[in-house]
Amino acid sequence: MSGLRVHAAARRSPDPVPDPAFLRALPSALPTDTELITRSVTDPGQFTDLFDRHATAVHRYLGRRVGDLADDLLSETFLIAFRRRAAYRPDHVEARPWLLGIATHVVHGHQRAERRRYRVLAKAAGQPEEHGADPADATDRLDAQALRGPLAAALAALKPRDRDALLLLAWGDLTYEEIAAVLDVPVGTVRSRLHRARRQTRAALGDTSPLHDTSEETR
Amino acid sequence: MNELTALREAGPEAPALSSAARSAARAALLTEITGPDPVRRRRPSRRTTLRLGAAGVAVAAAWTAAVVIAAPDGPGTPAGSVTLVDFAMPTFPLSLDPVPDGLRPAFDGYGDGATIAGYDDPAGEDGFTVYVDDDEPQQRPDDAAENEVSATEEVTVDGEGAELVRYSRDWCVGDSPGEDCSRRSYTWLTWERAHDQWVTIDAYGRYASRERVLEIAASMVDRPQPATLDIGLAPAGWSVRAFKMGRVLTLVNDAYEQQEITVHVPLPQDVVPADQVLSSTMGAIGPQLDVTVHGRPAQLVLVDTGYLDQRGWYLQAQFTDGTTFVLQVPDAFTQEQVLEFAEQVTHNP
Repeated sequence: MSGLRVHAAARRSPDPVPDPAFLRALPSALPTDTELITRSVTDPGQFTDLFDRHATAVHRYLGRRVGDLADDLLSETFLIAFRRRAAYRPDHVEARPWLLGIATHVVHGHQRAERRRYRVLAKAAGQPEEHGADPADATDRLDAQALRGPLAAALAALKPRDRDALLLLAWGDLTYEEIAAVLDVPVGTVRSRLHRARRQTRAALGDTSPLHDTSEETR
Repeated sequence: MNELTALREAGPEAPALSSAARSAARAALLTEITGPDPVRRRRPSRRTTLRLGAAGVAVAAAWTAAVVIAAPDGPGTPAGSVTLVDFAMPTFPLSLDPVPDGLRPAFDGYGDGATIAGYDDPAGEDGFTVYVDDDEPQQRPDDAAENEVSATEEVTVDGEGAELVRYSRDWCVGDSPGEDCSRRSYTWLTWERAHDQWVTIDAYGRYASRERVLEIAASMVDRPQPATLDIGLAPAGWSVRAFKMGRVLTLVNDAYEQQEITVHVPLPQDVVPADQVLSSTMGAIGPQLDVTVHGRPAQLVLVDTGYLDQRGWYLQAQFTDGTTFVLQVPDAFTQEQVLEFAEQVTHNP
């Protein structure tokens, strides 16, 4: 699985630059996520380090799903994670997927807000977009712009649990096994949800762009 | 570009995490770590108490929990007024033809439709439940330690492969868990009836024989069934959050998810006598108003829900057959709208 993770990370869009505090925390002597969570059971203050490491990534995932509401849900996600830290099982799932799983459950309370956001984005995508002067990536930008509306509309139309699986894969970079673990469903169910979600998304995009399956089909 | 790449490169973008938002979230976490400040704790929801007291059914507790989890400080603003419009309840996608012994189903579901139909005889001795889902069932009878599986068999339903499991488990009817239990036999059948439509039947009593379950499976037709508890009107911009056991229905304001409407048919033993509605309603801030719904006397009380400073109306009324129902709506409804809404509530058990 680790090989897949490296491969996946290498070809995906980079996450926002980690916080300076996290960059300083890279030396190997510092505790792992699992150690932090374990220690925080008896020394709760250690949990803030987990926040410092993952707040940006969790916020980014939430933000793509619910927009500005992510500020509130980020807080809620870490509060829930803190309260459940004693039940965390590192052999079950790593810390980042665990946090994204909690974030996904938190989003459930705001499904309507999420759907509204996608619908608004789908409408807004029909409006002309302002760009800078650099034409270097103009073609890519045009391609992306053409997809933006249909993608948002497709996300709005998906069933919530299918959308969860798809976005944990696409935006959370979780493996099938990790998605199964955080959603507490069998891997086979993840496969069927992803198959359905991807099929529907592909159909919604229609002729907007030529789409191809990739090796991620079999992850 | 495949759809995953498209989602990453052209999907909705996240707003940047501002320093202020980051600091606020970290501060909230630190507050939790160092211990809650009792002054800042939200009051227990009086609506919760009222629901539990009035409803007396477990499902209400589950919903209340869902509301509390759904962020008391969520976005939007509560409706100050409502406009009632025609409303169509979600349906259950399948029917049985014929219906065994004329049983009437009660449905559970969410805004996108019912997923569970319970066919039970009034005594609760014989019946079966039909589940419809996009996915293969995650739980099988042998997953539960308390279940004792006696046989597993591969069968066919309409030419499709199906799995049939016979098992038994305790059936308890006492007030407390594990009280007044007896062993009950079940037959469980699941198959993919159509693409992305998994149907599961869990039968007991006289419906639990292998032949009877297969007969029920073969009788399924694509004919949607309306909900047991129905409403003909709803505020514009509201939708169904969930409905349970044919007795409870919750609507939610799409623009402010903390604002709800609950329609509830209490069990006969939970019905409050008309002259005790005011005294048994927690948070009453107005007198008991004697009104008329479906041509029968009804009682209306204005209450402080105790939840996010919301006030609401509590109405106890009866259908034309004398069955009592309870309506809880926000005070965005005028008194006249409460009655107009109540007049359109129907129950077809």
